[in-house]
Amino acid sequence: MKKYILSAFAVLAMPAAAYANCPGITVADMKGVKSGAYPQQYEVAEFEAAAGCKMSFSSNPDAASLNARIQGNPDLPPLADRIPQEPLVVVPYSSIGKYGGTLDALSNATEAGTSDFLSIRHVNLVRYSDDLQTIVPNVAKSWEWNSDYTKLTFHLRAGHKWSDGQPFTSADVKFWYDNLMMDTNVFEKPKDYALVGGERMTVDTPDATTVVFNLPAPKPGLLAHFATSYAQGFQPKHFLGQFHPGISADADAKAKALGFENGYAVIRAYYGSSDWTDTPSPMLNSPDKVAKMPGAAVPTLESHFVVSETTEGRHFVANPYFHMVDTSGQQLPYINEMDEIYANDHEVRLLKLINAEVDYKSQSLGLPDAPILLQNMEKGDYTVQIKPRISMPTVSFNVTSEDAGKRAIFGDLRFRKAMSIAMDRNAINETAYFGQGEARQYVGFSPVPSFVDSKWLTFATEHDPAGAKALLDEIGLVDQNGDGIRDLPGGAPFILNLQFAQQGLPGQVVELIAQSWNAVGIQSAVKEVTPDEYRSAQSSNQLDVGLWEKSQPLAIVLGNNELWVPPFENYFAHRTGMLWAEWVDSNGASGVEPPEYVKQLMNDINAFQSTPVGTPESNAIGARMVENMTSNLLFLGTVLSAGPIYHRNALKNVPEFMTESYEYYRTYPYRGAQWYLDE
Amino acid sequence: MAQFIQFVLTRAAMAVMTLMIVSLIVFSLMELVPGSCAERYLAFKNTQGSQITIADIEAEERRLGLDRPFPERWVKWVYKVFVHGEFGESCILRLDINQLLADKFLISLGICLAALILSYAIALPIGIISASSKSAVANNTMRFVSYLGLALPNFLLALIIMLFATVWFGESLTGLYSKEYRDAAWNWAKFMDFLGHAWLPVFVLGWSATAFALQTVRALMLDEIGKLYVTAAAARGVLGAKLLWRYPAKHSLGPVVNSLGFDLNRIFNELPVIAMILTLTESGALLIESLARSNDQQLAGAIIFLLTASIVVMNFATDILLALIDPRVRRGLMG
Repeated sequence: MKKYILSAFAVLAMPAAAYANCPGITVADMKGVKSGAYPQQYEVAEFEAAAGCKMSFSSNPDAASLNARIQGNPDLPPLADRIPQEPLVVVPYSSIGKYGGTLDALSNATEAGTSDFLSIRHVNLVRYSDDLQTIVPNVAKSWEWNSDYTKLTFHLRAGHKWSDGQPFTSADVKFWYDNLMMDTNVFEKPKDYALVGGERMTVDTPDATTVVFNLPAPKPGLLAHFATSYAQGFQPKHFLGQFHPGISADADAKAKALGFENGYAVIRAYYGSSDWTDTPSPMLNSPDKVAKMPGAAVPTLESHFVVSETTEGRHFVANPYFHMVDTSGQQLPYINEMDEIYANDHEVRLLKLINAEVDYKSQSLGLPDAPILLQNMEKGDYTVQIKPRISMPTVSFNVTSEDAGKRAIFGDLRFRKAMSIAMDRNAINETAYFGQGEARQYVGFSPVPSFVDSKWLTFATEHDPAGAKALLDEIGLVDQNGDGIRDLPGGAPFILNLQFAQQGLPGQVVELIAQSWNAVGIQSAVKEVTPDEYRSAQSSNQLDVGLWEKSQPLAIVLGNNELWVPPFENYFAHRTGMLWAEWVDSNGASGVEPPEYVKQLMNDINAFQSTPVGTPESNAIGARMVENMTSNLLFLGTVLSAGPIYHRNALKNVPEFMTESYEYYRTYPYRGAQWYLDE
Repeated sequence: MAQFIQFVLTRAAMAVMTLMIVSLIVFSLMELVPGSCAERYLAFKNTQGSQITIADIEAEERRLGLDRPFPERWVKWVYKVFVHGEFGESCILRLDINQLLADKFLISLGICLAALILSYAIALPIGIISASSKSAVANNTMRFVSYLGLALPNFLLALIIMLFATVWFGESLTGLYSKEYRDAAWNWAKFMDFLGHAWLPVFVLGWSATAFALQTVRALMLDEIGKLYVTAAAARGVLGAKLLWRYPAKHSLGPVVNSLGFDLNRIFNELPVIAMILTLTESGALLIESLARSNDQQLAGAIIFLLTASIVVMNFATDILLALIDPRVRRGLMG
């Protein structure tokens, strides 16, 4: 009898329990709540079912005052009208956070070394989970592929809003694709990730929350692109559209009223004509006009919004319309403000880190910096994680140099091989990386997939100065005037200018490379420049030697062909063969025709992206790509190592990183929106 | 009086001439930097995924007027700078140089002038006293301190101070403002905050400048102090401080005033290195950035030109000052 009464009570109590407050579970303590469809996050209904509770939401008490600092934003509506009807429930790593504080970040310059910090507030349609294996929802609530990977459908969140309170819908995705990416007034040429085998896609919007990408050929890697790239597949149509001549008839008139030449000029001021969101905002590029403009920067879906910008730094406040909540129902982000300052000098950056003037930093640090950072860890009350890297410092030669003499030399495989075996990779490893790294040839993929024959990893990596000298003699690079330095076959002096930026690779590594080349008679002069200068010299084909890190994981190669098509990566990264690229771009009308193996690479990457990964066919193509890339030594690998990740101990909910790398978009898998400051 | 006005006008005309010549030199130097502004401008188009072709670069050079002959471009540049006060756009930053430099150049100038004033405020009295003092201890101390100031490079001093600050106060002492004032408009609080940061570069720059000035003042004083008119005055019973200030000190002042422009130049030369170490964000830092690491000819040219202009103005001012103090200068110049 007692048993029955108790169970009757239990039955009566259950609905009440179901409507109790939700437990603030964390990754560290799930309190018995089962994981949802994806690790460390839930949809609201999914979480309520798993935890047997009803979520109620609460907002940052400072939201109104932060909102007031965003130019053009109206007064804040209540929280329920700000977050989507189905906000994304994020499980914090170790504890439910608290609101407030300012995160201090350190970058190199306005457009240099900022991706690390940008990745903290970054959002995209989807995201890699911190296992770097699982793609999980983010801005998109869900997605599905059709069976042959030619149709990718995203479902957005109902009621999702931009940082100015306007609705975010499928039209914003279509606007980004049709009116920005495919508009030659904005992008002269669409980026590869927006194309499939060079062909454009189409974007359908059956309703406000559904977006369909129709692909002309299979490209399963498109999803991974949206998970790893800084480029976001959406822009606010309501905002940028008013200045877009294709959307709004009075776009140019509106632009003129603001003092711009035409509508596209306003779009350029906001969007920077770039999918890179850290281009200067109107606050920096049009300070005399910004007061009258509808906003000081373009509305965002990111966790924070830029409210001031100078040549010294940027300042951000929390986005009051952000679409994530924690498991206790508090709207994210926890951190109120973010402050970014620029320091282009490496030693000064280190000093600031040691003094704990920065909350988080990883980009532009290398293993050579680890000892001094580790030594001061206790005093500065910060933590340094040393994690494996994905890319490594690589060296290339300008195979399409403007200087005909140099072009002939750089284009000679024997020269590139000589330079590769002249390098003492073990000495680099010992001196710069304390013997912790691994000498490697560049094969294009990192980590190395199983279809790569291991012989390529050590191809031409042996240290053989005598062999290098013999090769150089063979191609006629000999010392003609008896000064111990090799001259060009015509007798002109041959000097390699090694311009590098610390953001690309450690100066120590460059100096060791230069030493080993000088030792075989190739005069090499080292000069440190800013990343901006390095990039513009590279773009205008003025570098002798490319020096930057390189390599990408398989998942990214599947979505973006840039590593395999001249100039073999984008503006921000390591490129060579600029005139080959011009030839490819102009369909042979100008530039320099690339050799056969490069054409083969271009064909193979298209086939590779359209072939299901892991099949024998795909593996065969992959193996051929690696062979072509590696045996031709367009890029010389050096040492694959680990790198430091720095964060102050007051910054909480920062987990152990899997890698210290750019490739999964730095901190994006580790969910910066749930980081908080405990001071 | 008419003679004096004529003198001022002549000097002003000479100053403008000097500026023109300087602008020609600066402009020629900008030409020597490898790579043109067009290439740097275009490099950014790469971020949009477009390849830069030789044809693009040539078209951009035409747009920027870089295909015109050198004298024509110089005249245009001079016209824009002198008539409109416009320096054009920075090649790398793609920002308007006037906007970019705005208060940055004034801050640099302020720091340098403050260092100059500090150095003379210390050097004048101490130099005069030490020249007349017979105390071996005082003399040797002064000599030691000033040699230290001359021998210890400024950047090393800045590094030492920063290192001490880091070890003992856990504060790197970098920058010109606290972060809460960085983006603020100028007001009293920001100015006070600025002073709280600016003392370090002023001190570091003033350190060697003081040593230099001390040596100058002392040498000039020693020269004058042994002269017959001083002995004669002493014989007439003018003694002690009165003797010192009225005769030799007054005479040694002329060369000091004359060298103010030169001293300002020397201090400004030191500024970029200090600015780099202390991560200051004024024009000295921009200069080294644009000159050494970015090859931004437009920006470097603008800063060098402004610097030279300040020195020319300073020299003009000291000439007037000298003429006021010493009628011989006026007469000498006017014939």
